[in-house]
Amino acid sequence: MFEMIGGWLQRPNYIAFVLLFLWGIYIMVTRYNLVKKLIGMYLMQTSVIFFLVTTSAKRGATVPILLSTTEIIQPEAYANPLPHVLTLTAIVVGVATLGVSLALADAIYKKYGSLDEEEILKRLE
Amino acid sequence: MTRHLPAILFLLPLGLAICLPLIGIKHREWCRPLSIGVLAAMVPVSFANLVGVLQNGTIHYDFGGWAAPVGIEWVADGLASVMTVALSLVGLVCITFLSSVLFPYLGSRIVPFYTLVLLLIASLTGMVFAGDLFNLFVFLEVSALCAYALVGLAGGKALVAGFRYLILGTFGASLYLLGVGYLYAETGTLNMADLAQRVPSLVASKAFAVGVLFMFIGLGIKMALVPLHGWLPDAYTYAPDRVSPMLASLVTKVALYGWIRIMFWVLGAQAVVYQIRLLVLVGILGALAALVGAFLALSQVEIKRMFAYGGLSHIGLILVGISLGNQTGFVGGVFYLLNDAVMQAGLFFWAGAIIHLYGVRTIEDLGRLQGGAGWMSVALVVIALSMIGIPPTGGFFGKWYIILGAVEAQNYLAIVAVLIATLLTLAYFVKLFERVFRDRSTQPPPLIREIPLAVKIGLGATSVAVIVLGLMSDHIVSFLLKNAVPPGL
Repeated sequence: MFEMIGGWLQRPNYIAFVLLFLWGIYIMVTRYNLVKKLIGMYLMQTSVIFFLVTTSAKRGATVPILLSTTEIIQPEAYANPLPHVLTLTAIVVGVATLGVSLALADAIYKKYGSLDEEEILKRLE
Repeated sequence: MTRHLPAILFLLPLGLAICLPLIGIKHREWCRPLSIGVLAAMVPVSFANLVGVLQNGTIHYDFGGWAAPVGIEWVADGLASVMTVALSLVGLVCITFLSSVLFPYLGSRIVPFYTLVLLLIASLTGMVFAGDLFNLFVFLEVSALCAYALVGLAGGKALVAGFRYLILGTFGASLYLLGVGYLYAETGTLNMADLAQRVPSLVASKAFAVGVLFMFIGLGIKMALVPLHGWLPDAYTYAPDRVSPMLASLVTKVALYGWIRIMFWVLGAQAVVYQIRLLVLVGILGALAALVGAFLALSQVEIKRMFAYGGLSHIGLILVGISLGNQTGFVGGVFYLLNDAVMQAGLFFWAGAIIHLYGVRTIEDLGRLQGGAGWMSVALVVIALSMIGIPPTGGFFGKWYIILGAVEAQNYLAIVAVLIATLLTLAYFVKLFERVFRDRSTQPPPLIREIPLAVKIGLGATSVAVIVLGLMSDHIVSFLLKNAVPPGL
């Protein structure tokens, strides 16, 4: 048991990821304000990005770029670049989603004069 | 040249989607013919691609000249090529339908509207060909973003439905991405073929099992598998009548195809998650979806909503088919998927047309059709026969092969689920027929308006297609058995 908790404590990043992810879901589920829901959604997306970056983190590592043709390739000295690239794409996807969602929220506000979900559902009937 | 066909197939709609906003500044009226033209061009290209794949084997298309495990590749094998043929054909009929004069004039919104539709088609093509888990995620999100915007386009209630769709869809996509992250952290690869080779050594890995479950739940939300279907009925009911056929027939089906690709080509049919065979899990959820979807459809009054729930039940049936773990069941499921794309398109054409021709939204109002209106009645009967599963329509043969597969697998629960779902489908269509053909209580004469050509094309093409699929089922199934069966099944 203690070993397990000790193991967890050595990986604070993953704990932070789990907390952020669950926090995002919690906000999405419990808040009635549409914009707050979006904040929760964005927090959740960002936590996944954070997880991807964390998997490639390495102490004292450098970028995988060869400065000269004679430089010896040392794979263990480099941080894995792929998760960073995935992260870039995922950020773009997240921003696009946020854009569409804010546009929808804006249209809802103009139509129903409220961002409160309960209020909107009342007006739908 | 044949090597490049998958990329060309993708670039056709994407290229026009990028050019359209520029063309639209001066020539708004060009949007419609250009979009239809591009979809029409996709049909022969997709057939050429299919022929090329059959002659020369699977095409591995490396982007940027980087070979497979390092670079991003697209894989055009038998199944993907068949899917793109179906995608371009259904897409062509849907885009013809949505250009109909029946629907309100879009004005200046016509340019972004067609851009979104073309982007949707392009991203679905990308999803079908993707040979890389992350690439699949990107296309999944592009298609979903287009779908959110298209749903919201109707304004009013559709905005709220679209917003809910967006929240749930993004949640699903994040889970999928998280699953991909787990698998990447465990194996160091994102390429499907490369990953498939490493899967056997990961049986004991918890990260692998959790990652697979996250991916399944994520795609489950996207394909609206029953406990995760909350967004679908509202989104498809309130979506603009002109786009619901395209959304209903293509978006969820391609997400389902994505899961088929991952389950059979990456994880393998024997994959085990926490001592449970993944196929058994999928089969149980599929049977549940088939029953619950059909049952909920029975209790609906709004026609579009009824068809949306019917679609949920069919997603379940397809999952039951592919989860049987033998070739017959798999091919039955895939054949049913093709049929379902056609049937859903046809049903939503019908629902959209009667809303705008007769102002009928609910089952109570259906009496206004007075059993007349030849095109509408005949199309409804033909597609309904296929939905229920009566020969010689495609729906019957799809269910037939699924049941054959279930008998072969001695999975009697699956047979019971398929039969009960069939009976429930029969029940809700009888409810519909009762109103259309027997109800004489509504007196006001129907607003007869000439049925526009695009509606006739849509209804005619889908009705003919389900019958052709039925009559040709023998050939199609043996073709799929030969060319589209996953390894190790």
